[in-house]
Amino acid sequence: MPAEATEKSTYKIPIGPIHPALKEPVMFEFEVDGERIVDADVYLGHVHRTIEWTGMRRNPVQVLYLAERICGICSYCHPMSFALAVERIAGIEVPERAEYLRVVQAELERICSHTLWAGVAAHEIGFDSVLFLTWQVREKALDLTEYLTGNRVTKAITQIGGVRRDITKDMVPKIEETMGFLKDNFGKLKKIFLDDKTFKMRSQNVGVLTKEDALKLCAVGPTGRASGVKKDVRIDQPYFAFSELDFDYVTPDVLTGEVNGDVYDRIIVRLLEVKQSIDLIEQCVDILSGMPEGDIVAEPKIAKLLNQLKKAEGDGIGRMEAPRGEVIHYVKMDGHEHPYSWKVRAPTYNNILPWIPMLKGEQIADIPIVAASTDPCMSCTNRVGIVQDGNRKMYSGEDLHELSVQKTRRLMQ
Amino acid sequence: MKFSMIPQVLSQMLKKPFTNKFPAKYIPSSVTGYLKDVQSGKAKMIPPVETPEGFRGKIQYDRDTCIGCKLCIKVCPTDAIEFVPETKKIRIYLSRCCFCSQCNDICPKDCLSMGDEFLLADTDKYSSDLIVE
Amino acid sequence: MSREQKLSPEEIVDSFTKEFSGKITDTKVERHKIGPSKLEMIHIWMTVDRSVYKDAVKHLMTIDEETHFAVGSGYDIEDRIEIINHFSIYFGKKGEEISINFKIPLPKSDPVMDSICDLIPGALISEQEKQEMLGIKVKNIPKDMRVFISDDFPEDMYPWRKDEMNADKMGRNLHEHDKIPAAKVPEKKEDEE
Repeated sequence: MPAEATEKSTYKIPIGPIHPALKEPVMFEFEVDGERIVDADVYLGHVHRTIEWTGMRRNPVQVLYLAERICGICSYCHPMSFALAVERIAGIEVPERAEYLRVVQAELERICSHTLWAGVAAHEIGFDSVLFLTWQVREKALDLTEYLTGNRVTKAITQIGGVRRDITKDMVPKIEETMGFLKDNFGKLKKIFLDDKTFKMRSQNVGVLTKEDALKLCAVGPTGRASGVKKDVRIDQPYFAFSELDFDYVTPDVLTGEVNGDVYDRIIVRLLEVKQSIDLIEQCVDILSGMPEGDIVAEPKIAKLLNQLKKAEGDGIGRMEAPRGEVIHYVKMDGHEHPYSWKVRAPTYNNILPWIPMLKGEQIADIPIVAASTDPCMSCTNRVGIVQDGNRKMYSGEDLHELSVQKTRRLMQ
Repeated sequence: MKFSMIPQVLSQMLKKPFTNKFPAKYIPSSVTGYLKDVQSGKAKMIPPVETPEGFRGKIQYDRDTCIGCKLCIKVCPTDAIEFVPETKKIRIYLSRCCFCSQCNDICPKDCLSMGDEFLLADTDKYSSDLIVE
Repeated sequence: MSREQKLSPEEIVDSFTKEFSGKITDTKVERHKIGPSKLEMIHIWMTVDRSVYKDAVKHLMTIDEETHFAVGSGYDIEDRIEIINHFSIYFGKKGEEISINFKIPLPKSDPVMDSICDLIPGALISEQEKQEMLGIKVKNIPKDMRVFISDDFPEDMYPWRKDEMNADKMGRNLHEHDKIPAAKVPEKKEDEE
């Protein structure tokens, strides 16, 4: 009997919602042909916490602390954007010393976030020693944050009209010591990430996002800048004291002279931004030591501030550059104590749609490093179900990570 | 350079580890037995890393200075402070507190301050250790 | 009109009102002073009728091909729903970006508007979110499904609304069943002078 003609077709793999290298749980469905990915689909909504609904039932000072707990790593940008929006509605002027203090805290958060990402990216490739080295460097930056604000992660230093704590003259030596330590180790990290053969093998020409796709899908932050799009809210629409400071867009051609839009370019952009942040903090601390003592908040009595905000009416927008991209808050106040409407948009939601063109044509073992290169939030476990010839096989998070590590070993031989 | 981590890894073998081994060098076989030994003096516990000045730990309440104005309740984001009308003083529930210290800033008589205690885990949400009054 | 010749904010507003006379109302150019050197930051607000909304976005893309769509927000007030879409143009050089916000009022009896996903594909998630949170319908949307709310949430409850279709019934107070020990209250003296 002649054999029946069979035809080759693709398989559909669901990945998620709890997933490797992701901050928010996200569900994907990949259409796979052997090891190559042919198409991808994204589904969201697994950590919806009704924050905007809760925020419309609290007064503006309480909303600041609610906004801080939207994300653990950009825990400074969300309350600050909300404060910027409310200040524009109520017409509150921020004193000059507070603007420079706000810049120092923002750049310190950027350093902590980018070093965390560098460790996670190394872990996804399988290079655990670099993970421990990078996070050891990060501990010094977190110690400085604890010294300046009182806590390592939820800083609680925002106030509508300024900041809550000052940087006095006796705090400056500790800042200078930490910046010196970071500068010494930066050279070491740069050599490991950019010159090492392992990183180059796994990340060059992988997960490419072209400039046209980045513009059409509105990619923001280092994901967009690595594809050559010059978008940075600190330079385009300066806020705080960024208009006084001296810095420029960070794109990969600053270091290598060409733009490819792959994972290697994103590593370059993030490491150069750490160097830029250290430089900005030093500039600000110099300016602050030269300024006389002054106010750090426009209205120190909070009961009076709440009464002033009760009478404010109108709508306003606050935009900031978080470590992951552009954060935008829209607030509408109408003369009551609670805001009438509040909309939050975190940068990861704009960076999720670019995953689809990035993952087409790649292999399954490349999913963790490509997903981690756009820097979504913390990693969780995952379950992957693969259907092969009618048998279901379940891969857990550790198995997917193993696949990625084994690919590195194969390439190294 | 091909394997740039090798000098770093070799030098790490001769240095002291960066991790602070709190509370003990190796995991004890029974945690409650170990805590009993520490209290009676038989074992020593390695202390945690020092907290800096200005750390926001467990809240401390000066009952006699409080005038019962209820401004701290207006500003607390998590509904953690309750007013007791009979004595005109407040109660703070630490299981709901988020350690933001906004109540410290608004109090007109400065009767609230943040201490430096942070080992606050307990099995009962409303045990007497976790209610400050 | 493209990035080479940048228009001033008043010229941008004039080009819109000339092109869509009568359908664009309530234009406002806000100038905020920011930072120690009091640099100017420009926000343009416009109320756009829903019949010309898609053409207005096309006109905006002739002013700048690389228009950036940030987010869409919205609220309901009295008998209408207002959707606000936030765009920004002229990024790339220091201090020159202008934020443009289109307000689109929709009547509650017929809340339908056009989708712009064929012009800017990055607007997909924002439009799906408005459908499920406020109860509007977006015509010609590429993928019609819920994005943030789970599929077993009731059909006609819209969390952002303030009228009878809101979702307050689904909210729970997590502390209402806690057993809290009573406060120490000193006993009242029976014989007070």
